[in-house]
Amino acid sequence: MRARFAQRKLSGLAPLMLALPAVVAGCQRANPPMNTLAPKSDYANWIYSLFVEVTWLDLFVLGIVVVAFVLAVFVFSRRAGEGEAASETHTDMRLELAWTLGPAFILLLIAIPTIRTIFREEPPAPPADSLKVTVIAHQWWWEFRYPGTPIVTANELHIPEHRPVWVSLRSADVIHSFWVPALGGKRDVIPGQVNHMWFIANTPGEYYGQCAEFCGDSHANMRFRVFVDTPAQFAAWEKAQEAPPVQPAAGTRAAKGAAIFANSPCTACHTITGVSKGYIGPNLTHLASRTTIAGGIMKNDPKDLKAWIENPVGLKPGANMPALGLRGPELDDLVAYLGSLK
Amino acid sequence: MAAQPKAIPAEYPSYLKGDPISWLNTIDHKRVGVLYGVSALFFMMLGGIEALLIRIQLFEPNNTFLSAHVYNQVFTMHGTTMIFLVVMPLLLGFAANFLVPLQIGARDVAFPRLNALSFWIFLSGAVFLHMGWFWHHGGLPDAGWFGYANLTERQYTPGMAIDFWDIGLLILGVSTVMTGLNFFTTIVTMRAPGMTYMRMPMFVWSILVTSILILLAFPPLTVGLIFLFMDRFFGTHYYQAVAGATPILWQHLFWLFGHPEVYIMALPAFGMISEIIPTFSRKPLFGYPMMAYSLILIAFLSYGVWGHHMFATGMGPVADATFAITSMLIAIPTGIKIFSWIATVWGGSLKMTTAFYFALGFIVEFTIGGLSGIMHAAVPIDLQQTDSYFVVAHFHYVLFGGVMFAILGAFYYWWPKVTGRMLSEKLGKVQFWLTVIGFNGTFFPMHFLGTWGMPRRIYTYGSGMGWTFWNQFETVSAFILGFAFLLMFINMLRSLRDGEIAPADPWDARTLEWSIPSPPPAFNFVTVPSVSGRDAFWARKYGTGSHGAAAVASAGDPPNGEAEAIHMPEPSFFPIVLAAGLLLCGLGVVVAWWRLIMAGGVILFLSIIGMAFQYPTFGQHTHETEAASGGGGEDLRKVGLWAFIGSESVFFATLIATFMVYKSRSMGGPGADVLEIPLTSFSTFILLMSSLLMVLALAATQRGDKTWQRVWLAGTVLFGLIFLGDQAYEFTSLYHHGLGFTTDLFSQCFFTLVGFHGFHVFIGVVWLSVLLVVSFMDRLPKSRALSVELAGLYWHFVDIVWVVIFTLVYLMQKVKGA
Repeated sequence: MRARFAQRKLSGLAPLMLALPAVVAGCQRANPPMNTLAPKSDYANWIYSLFVEVTWLDLFVLGIVVVAFVLAVFVFSRRAGEGEAASETHTDMRLELAWTLGPAFILLLIAIPTIRTIFREEPPAPPADSLKVTVIAHQWWWEFRYPGTPIVTANELHIPEHRPVWVSLRSADVIHSFWVPALGGKRDVIPGQVNHMWFIANTPGEYYGQCAEFCGDSHANMRFRVFVDTPAQFAAWEKAQEAPPVQPAAGTRAAKGAAIFANSPCTACHTITGVSKGYIGPNLTHLASRTTIAGGIMKNDPKDLKAWIENPVGLKPGANMPALGLRGPELDDLVAYLGSLK
Repeated sequence: MAAQPKAIPAEYPSYLKGDPISWLNTIDHKRVGVLYGVSALFFMMLGGIEALLIRIQLFEPNNTFLSAHVYNQVFTMHGTTMIFLVVMPLLLGFAANFLVPLQIGARDVAFPRLNALSFWIFLSGAVFLHMGWFWHHGGLPDAGWFGYANLTERQYTPGMAIDFWDIGLLILGVSTVMTGLNFFTTIVTMRAPGMTYMRMPMFVWSILVTSILILLAFPPLTVGLIFLFMDRFFGTHYYQAVAGATPILWQHLFWLFGHPEVYIMALPAFGMISEIIPTFSRKPLFGYPMMAYSLILIAFLSYGVWGHHMFATGMGPVADATFAITSMLIAIPTGIKIFSWIATVWGGSLKMTTAFYFALGFIVEFTIGGLSGIMHAAVPIDLQQTDSYFVVAHFHYVLFGGVMFAILGAFYYWWPKVTGRMLSEKLGKVQFWLTVIGFNGTFFPMHFLGTWGMPRRIYTYGSGMGWTFWNQFETVSAFILGFAFLLMFINMLRSLRDGEIAPADPWDARTLEWSIPSPPPAFNFVTVPSVSGRDAFWARKYGTGSHGAAAVASAGDPPNGEAEAIHMPEPSFFPIVLAAGLLLCGLGVVVAWWRLIMAGGVILFLSIIGMAFQYPTFGQHTHETEAASGGGGEDLRKVGLWAFIGSESVFFATLIATFMVYKSRSMGGPGADVLEIPLTSFSTFILLMSSLLMVLALAATQRGDKTWQRVWLAGTVLFGLIFLGDQAYEFTSLYHHGLGFTTDLFSQCFFTLVGFHGFHVFIGVVWLSVLLVVSFMDRLPKSRALSVELAGLYWHFVDIVWVVIFTLVYLMQKVKGA
């Protein structure tokens, strides 16, 4: 009898036993670049500590349910045909009251810190001394502007550490969602509406972000990076971005490429300060200062740049940039020019 | 074990007997249920294949198995299919249809032809959703199952796929609302004598509450889809920021439907579990009253939590905190259910069948889904987890670990009743363990992937993200899960071919469906059972009700003469023809071929007329006399109409709310200043007077006064026509003042709201005119006063809506303008 119970217990626990090594293996893996459990800002930290608290409470409740379940199925019941008939108990006021009030109390434990965090993370106005950044989401890339400066860049956001960053979110087309897990939760980017979020990054480094609201064909290819710089690095970066674009020396391939660019349809969509004024695609004034292209899915090196210009839609489905049919030396010149735009 | 109740003599054939054609015109609730079930199983295979395609594509980084465009179609259709074409038809179309009349001791649902119509419209909607496949510029819908505006606007998603999705969901919505109305009326009016609400099986309770949810939750979706339709076809701007509108309106409308929808799927599953667990524990359901009240409480709360799908949209801290609290509150009634099920098992004498395995599996898996749900109610956590794989894990634990486990349990539990054959328990248990392994292996790691930042709905991901291993693990597990379903299909086919013949009551169960043969005869019960406690059949077998009180056993073997008197309604081909007409109409709209619209319209119109005149006793339901045996004594048509009016109220409330929100956001255009108060005051007066005439017409009918009946009916029709004439004049003059349909936000909301009301007046005028004709044919005697009363109820409702519109749209505009 007892042995049979034990056997049943084991078979009932099989899925849990299967899951356990999986959980352990999962926790041992290297830190994934978009980990929400490695917060690098005050805002992400608040969420993380709330997550930890709720996870423990959840595990506590799950424990109670599983223990009650195991006791009910394997201990305090019989199998049909064994021993006496089933009990006829179908109500117990004290029990029913307990499992109404108990969960209510646990919910209270969750609700209080939740509401405190909500009001903390959504202040009505930007904190003093904050750096203001405007994010404009496009199908399928990110534009970053720094109000009060001429800086316009794409897919790579630079911010200083230990300074509040007040982000204003605008959309050029459909709904997107701005998400850098290391720095905090998502905020949707909605046409006709300006949303805000703020945070204070506390550790210099490169953090990955990605659009989190389905926005069409290349939703998966709408990635970006946030570089949290030391104040000195950030000041240097700002200065470099505010400078006019590099003028290639006459006679170089880059100079030829500059001429090709200036006379090509590229100018209809892309801005290079002093050269063109297109605004549909990313600003290229300091393209070479960025590490990635094409919504963060490709490296910014001559090989990838060339492949991208040759076949944008093939690499990023649905992309608005057409293949212009440039090839051979012309394309190499253009790539040389773009590569010179530090 | 007590002796089986005596079987019904063999001369009453099973409901399954009959030639194939008889399945096309059937209105038997059991056959309609089987039609739903078979279709849903087909779509389940389709949705399952879509799921596997998703998993293959995500097996490795930068995979090119599916293109972005195809992947987006596949995940959109996986969600849409599983929700609208699998889970809902299995729970409501199949299970509720088959079981509710059996469990309440009725011979059919309240409106059997409407029921058949629901099925055929469902099928045409399901086919419609997939039609884009066959068109050159079509393709399947690709904007996600919740199709967020403004991505769904023609500017961003040209082509016909979204049109098929939009109209397909509208068609499915019509079917679902008719089903909700039918079950609501059935349960309210057709319960067996003695079956009070607190004696109903818990599954019936769950369907009653679900029906109310359907009636009140679908209208916002309908309105949202109509707005989308108008944006795509007529050039309005309901979801476009350029005109001052906001795409967030769609999210409000969609989730106002969408969250109750979660419970439309979950509550019937709760009901199934509440049937399976007591049977195999051989104990009454623990805490029956609390189980019923918690269903109601969950349904009530589910209307106040839609915002928790929108925390990331920036609703502000106050709204966020409110929705967080209401969402957390749902955990309390849900917890009551979990603990009550466990308490039901506690102290039981357990019969470890496959059905019971799935029910027990449900308790654990669903609890995990519920607990991760609480994390999403905590707004800051949700901001990290929403739209990541964590939320995918969460709702699959709810919808698969919860609802699908319940469906699988129910499948093993009721299959013998439906088919008259037993399934293999051995194969069933193999399926159970493979399902547990495959399900947890597929969806548990999604919690990790979500917390590691993997967004949902991405067709590919980079190799350095740390997501590869678990994606591969999930894909392998998904195939195990798929294999488990394959075993289910094998089990079904084996059972149908040479399964053991099922007795009437194979599980020694507790509810009335087990008191009749497996499969049941067409008319279900030879004599309508009388009920004196919960678990009516258990009480009949063992002599004790769930309260320990002796229950009166109903007569086992009825006299043959009585059985012969059973008269079931005639089958009808009109439902299938009507649904085909609807399909052609919709198709004509999408492909912009007006001849097709005309053809479909003609079929639609003729089949409605045909349906109305099919029965010689026009306007009077044949069922009324012989099937409405129990319940509260209310006439079923009246209950049905009230349910319809309830649903319509939400429809108009949604239109009015949209108008109120958008009127102030309108840019340019003449606005409300051009509205003419004197004219509409006159219209209002006329419409109110028509309600008075309607009252007089009913009074005349009730005292059998034919002359005045005709006079007052004619007067009502005339006043309705005057109102419509006024409205036509008003619209024309507004147009001349520069207020066209698409002029601005104000005008599009105004014309939509007032136009839909005008359409309702028009329907009312048609209805009253038909009554007038019937009156002149001398076929509207005193005994048919109810027909006049019903038309009157509708007419008064439409008038009340007008009073609200007149106040909010006309008077308040002017007051504000002054």
